[in-house]
This record gives sequence, C-alpha cells and structure tokens, in this order.
Amino acid sequence: MPSRRVYLDNSATTPVDPRVAAAMARAVVETFGNASSVHGFGQQARAAIDRARREVAALIGARQNEIVFTSGGTESNNLAIRGVCEATSASGRHIITSAIEHPSVAGVCAQLEKRGWEVTRLPVYGNGLVRVEDVAASLRPDTVLITVMLANNEIGTIQPVAEIGALVREKRTAGQRHLWLHTDAVQAAGRLRLNVDELGCDLLTMSGHKLYAPKGIGALYVRRGVRLHGQNVGGHQERERRAGTENVPGIVAFGEAAKLAREELDERSLHDRRLRDKFEAAVSERIPDVLMNGDRERRLAHLSNISFRFIEGEGLLINLDLEGVAVSTGSACSSGTLEPSPVIRALGVNDELARGSIRFSFGKDNIEAEVDYAVGVLAHAVERLRALSPLTLVGH
Amino acid sequence: MGELPGANAIADETNPICGDRLRLSLIITGDHIETARYLAYGCPPTLVCGSVLTELITGKYIAEVKQLTRADLLEAMGGLPSRKHHAAALAIETLNKALEPGINAD
Repeated sequence: MPSRRVYLDNSATTPVDPRVAAAMARAVVETFGNASSVHGFGQQARAAIDRARREVAALIGARQNEIVFTSGGTESNNLAIRGVCEATSASGRHIITSAIEHPSVAGVCAQLEKRGWEVTRLPVYGNGLVRVEDVAASLRPDTVLITVMLANNEIGTIQPVAEIGALVREKRTAGQRHLWLHTDAVQAAGRLRLNVDELGCDLLTMSGHKLYAPKGIGALYVRRGVRLHGQNVGGHQERERRAGTENVPGIVAFGEAAKLAREELDERSLHDRRLRDKFEAAVSERIPDVLMNGDRERRLAHLSNISFRFIEGEGLLINLDLEGVAVSTGSACSSGTLEPSPVIRALGVNDELARGSIRFSFGKDNIEAEVDYAVGVLAHAVERLRALSPLTLVGH
Repeated sequence: MGELPGANAIADETNPICGDRLRLSLIITGDHIETARYLAYGCPPTLVCGSVLTELITGKYIAEVKQLTRADLLEAMGGLPSRKHHAAALAIETLNKALEPGINAD
C-alpha cells in the first residue's frame, strides 16, 4: 500500500459524506417498516421517503410526485428510454441520441435498434458538443425520443440541453405530441444548478453515488403527463413505475445528499474548479506533449481529461495507482483488440491520443496539497513511460 | 530498458490489431546474447513482457533462446490472464525476428 492515497476519480464515484452515512445508518436501524404497510412502522418509512423525495425534487426544480426512485443511473436510463419507447411505439419508432452517451443509454438504444427502432447518433465534433442544428435536422414526424446527456462522463462537456428542450417544445406546440426529451444528468446533478423547466426536459436521470450518497440508489424525473411503461412490474410502488419494496435507507441517504448538494453547490463548484484549474496549469507547465480533451469552456468544473502522447493510459493509470493516485481511463485493451474510448474517438483524435487519455476528477474532499502531490507523481510516471516508449524514437 | 547503443540485432514489431509495439535491441557475440534491451508501447502486460524477456535471454546461447516459447515467457512472469496472452506472443515474435539470419548486420 502506498504511503499516501489521493482519490481523483470522483466522476466514477464519490466518497460517502459522513452526514449522509449518519442519516442512512439511522434509517437502517430505526426506519425498518415497509412503506406500503398501513401501521405506524410503515407510515414512518413512508414519511422518510416523502421527505427524501422533496429534497431530490428540489435539487432539480421538480415536483415531488415527478420523482421515481430507482437503483441508480443505469436503471433510470433503461426505464426512461425503454419506458417511453414502449409507451409511444404506435406514434413512431425513431430515436435521436449523441455519439458520446454513457453505455447505459447507448446500450438501450442499440437494443431497441435491433428490435426495429431507428436511431440517429449525433456527432460531437472536436469539442465534444452536440449542435442544436443537427438535432433540428434529424427530427422526423416519427421521432418519439431525444436522449442527450447533460454532461459527459469522460470529458465533462455540457450539452445544449436547454436549447434542445426549446426545440422540442416548439415541435410539440406544432402538433408533434409524442416527442419527449430525456437527459442523463448523472454527472451534472449536484454539480450544476439544474431546473427541469429551464432545461425543458421531460425525463432526467440522477444517481446518488455521484453526489456523495452510497451506491444502489438513483432517481428518474418524469414530467407530469409523460407516458411511461414501467420496467419492473408487480407492485404499486413509485406510482406503478417501479415495482418493488422501497430501499428506504438508500432513499434517505439520497435525500440527505441532495439537500447538502443544493445547499453547498456553489461552494463545492468553486472548490472543484480551483483545484482542477491549478492541476491543469501545473500539468501544462511541467509535462510536454499533452492534449486537453473536450471544450475548454462548456464543461464541468471538477473534471479534466488529458491525452499524454507516446504512452498508453492503462500503464499510466497503474503507475499512478502504485503511488496512491486514483484516476481512470476510458480505453481498454483486451484479447489483443484495442478498444479506445468511444468518447475520445468521437472527438476525432487518433488512436494513440485516444489510448493515452486519462480522466482526473476532483471532489469536495480533495485539498490543494493533493493536487501538488498528484502532479509530481504524474510528471514522474509520464517521464518513465516515455523513456520506455519506442514512439519517442526519432522518426518513429 | 531503452535502446542499446552498438546493438547488432534489432527488431521492432507491432500488433496490427491493438497497436502494441515492442522494440528489442541485442548485442550478439559469437553464439550468445551478451546484452538485451527493450522499448515498449501498449498495455501494462506488453511492458512487462519486454522486461521479462530481456532478463530471460541476457547471457544465454542463441540456440537455447531460439527454443523459448510463449508458455516459457508466461511462466517466467508468473502468468497472465488469457485475454492478455497476446502480449507474450508479441514478445516472442519480436525475439524471433531479431534472431532471423540476414535481417541484421552482423
């Protein structure tokens, strides 16, 4: 075990906030009733769920009866996309999405495609951003769903969801009543101030463990009036949209985390941005031949995605891990087949740069000294791996 | 590791599918390998295979080194998951290339 451990992978998951853990621990012990039970124990659990639902709704400016608790981002994305497509298949079978969605969106779209839906995947160009005019040009009378993420998980770019939302409202006013907009806001919720009415989205995905709650709890916002086929059936829970006894401790934890995120959002955002900017400035100064991926302005404040020329991300990741610095790479090499990150590839960068990309993501618990340590370790590891790389030979 | 100055046998092989690359430079004196160094680009197993390979062949007779197989290399490094076996295959391929007669000036 290295002497020092620095966690710079807050986009993968965040450490559980002790205040959230305390609320959850109380709920595990004290709020054990089944929320569907009529007696006092059940009503206590129901009240705890209602309080949490208000907090989660408040985080995105929604009404509380528009929040469906799920097991996390992946389930929410599955429920949103498949739920809407199944409910509206009589009106059309065309979906618009982006080329850089999370696998839980891309995978469901690919599955629907095999079952006869048509899927348009919008390009993101060199800066990692969808263009609204491409959305407009792709819209058809039989388009039933647009699903475009709010912020990308690998490069942090913030997509023009509000502009797409305005377009969807326009189309709906013009008569296309079965067109819905879903956005995967797993990376954005708790990090950007969100309001579903300003975004104009009809469905929005959130996950607890990206905002300092534990894993296994998430939510889907479903605007009133959206028709959705439940994917878990066999119970009345969550207004028939997600059958199954509620995960009360998880929901309580998510509620507490949402409340803290709302209260501390500005402070956290400033903190993350300060650390990220300091990190990027130091990297630019100390390490040559790097490429910062994704738009420089329209991006999340806590995330930095950098390609290091001549070396491969996985080797760099392991070198950093040996020194206690935790980061991630979107590329993987298995069975002799290279799988460079589809997100980085979508930016149009070559295989070498796609393979050498690393994501550093900061969080509220990181401190400045950790940035200094990480940059030192990183500069050393890059130098070591470059000394080993045949790509640095003259005329390679 | 690195490029060996004065090397009289060099091979540089790339896995065409995943892009992993290994470059081996040797000083061959008479019937044995005096020194060996490597450069590698790719996933961690590829880097490790380069390192273990140079350890295995340094000071050895060429006749002996020519018998080395992928399995020998995997055993020397304590094994690899099967999906990473291509790293050992690339290393053995690069070694054989370096030992091919007529490829390098002697």
